Amino acid sequence: MKARMILATASLAVPLLIGAGRPSYAASTAAPAVQAVVGEAASLTVEFAPVATNPAAPRMGDRLAFTSSIRNTGATPVEGLIAWLSLVQVDRGHEQPVDLEDWSAHKAIAVASLAPGAAVTTNWPMRLIQSGQYRVVVSAVSRAGAALTPSTFVDFTVAPKPVVESGRVLPVALGVPALLVGGLLLRRRRV
Amino acid sequence: MSPALRIARKEAGELVLGLRGQLWLAVTTAVLSGFSLLLVGSKELSLLDNAQVVYDMAGLVTALGALLAVIAGIDAIGGERERGSLLPLLLAPVPRGSILAGKLGGPVAAWGVMLALAAPYFWAVGSTGQNLVSGMVALLALGTPVVLGFGFLGVALGAWMQSGRTALSVALTGLVLSASPLLLGPSLRQSAIGRMFDAVNPFSAALNGFDAVIIDSQGATTQAGHAAVAVAWLALTAWAAAAAMRRVSR
Repeated sequence: MKARMILATASLAVPLLIGAGRPSYAASTAAPAVQAVVGEAASLTVEFAPVATNPAAPRMGDRLAFTSSIRNTGATPVEGLIAWLSLVQVDRGHEQPVDLEDWSAHKAIAVASLAPGAAVTTNWPMRLIQSGQYRVVVSAVSRAGAALTPSTFVDFTVAPKPVVESGRVLPVALGVPALLVGGLLLRRRRV
Repeated sequence: MSPALRIARKEAGELVLGLRGQLWLAVTTAVLSGFSLLLVGSKELSLLDNAQVVYDMAGLVTALGALLAVIAGIDAIGGERERGSLLPLLLAPVPRGSILAGKLGGPVAAWGVMLALAAPYFWAVGSTGQNLVSGMVALLALGTPVVLGFGFLGVALGAWMQSGRTALSVALTGLVLSASPLLLGPSLRQSAIGRMFDAVNPFSAALNGFDAVIIDSQGATTQAGHAAVAVAWLALTAWAAAAAMRRVSR
């Protein structure tokens, strides 16, 4: 089944994921401002895994790819399916959701209708921009589903890569102006 | 040797090897050195921080090249007029087109030297990052027509205006306006007026091309739209300079 790729950011989904395991006190103490959607139970399963060709020890600048398979396990078609990629950094002291803007151009898919028993398989390429420990997950929702269906997390660590080497910058930054000024002074002395 | 080539050699020699040119190149390298040294010591740079500096350097080199080109262009005619050497030049049996082509030799040579001096800086900060070679190709392909266009603009203003100072102030105002995207981020240029300005501004075209190639990793060959704006700018200013040269009499 062919899925439509969505290039818009899906970063809004990350707070949902982070907050999913925390108790919600507001719901029990105050009337909800927005009526909760009571829809069909989720009949989706999301399988998510890295591809076999990924580097074993990825570094900044490497590319990873993941595949997801979203299957409709129910008896009725799932309408208005949306699935998106979320990335979080989990280094101690640097825990944060990551804006995928620079990491991947393929952040989400939309499927108009997924028939019972059918599955949609998607490839999620990613370029590693920053070093650190990361968890990546694909989440799916449908137009009428009561809750999102996340995949299991895939963890990976990006090794740092020297982006700027002082040994290269310093000789150039100090040497080129010195050479020019030295040449200028030498010429003036000769004149 | 053709008259145009002879004039070009003289202009290039005076601009690049003269005291003024040497000082200008020293200032250029000092600015690039400052940029490079900002990166040393930062241990948490991402690939994009590195690319951002290469992008900034490409914009800066283009701006410095355009500034030198417009000043040299004005001096090529306005300066000759103030030194009293314009009339003998115009009376020489050399076509005006050859004089114009020769006068552009200074900015062309200076731009070439600036690119050569910038190359080690690009290598120093960008060789461990991304898109260094394609970024330098973009600088050459998009920056050159922008810079030479400002050289032609300088020649045109120098020929049109009797006062070199007036020509210089007009040219610098235009250059500051055109190069304002260096300071204004893309988000500040998203209004309708900003988008219209970006669409016709050659400097914006060059910067947007650098952004696409260096930061967004698009191919240098996919920047035909940006290149078209830069080349149109070069053609327009060349036409203006040629028209001004035909009319200049003293």
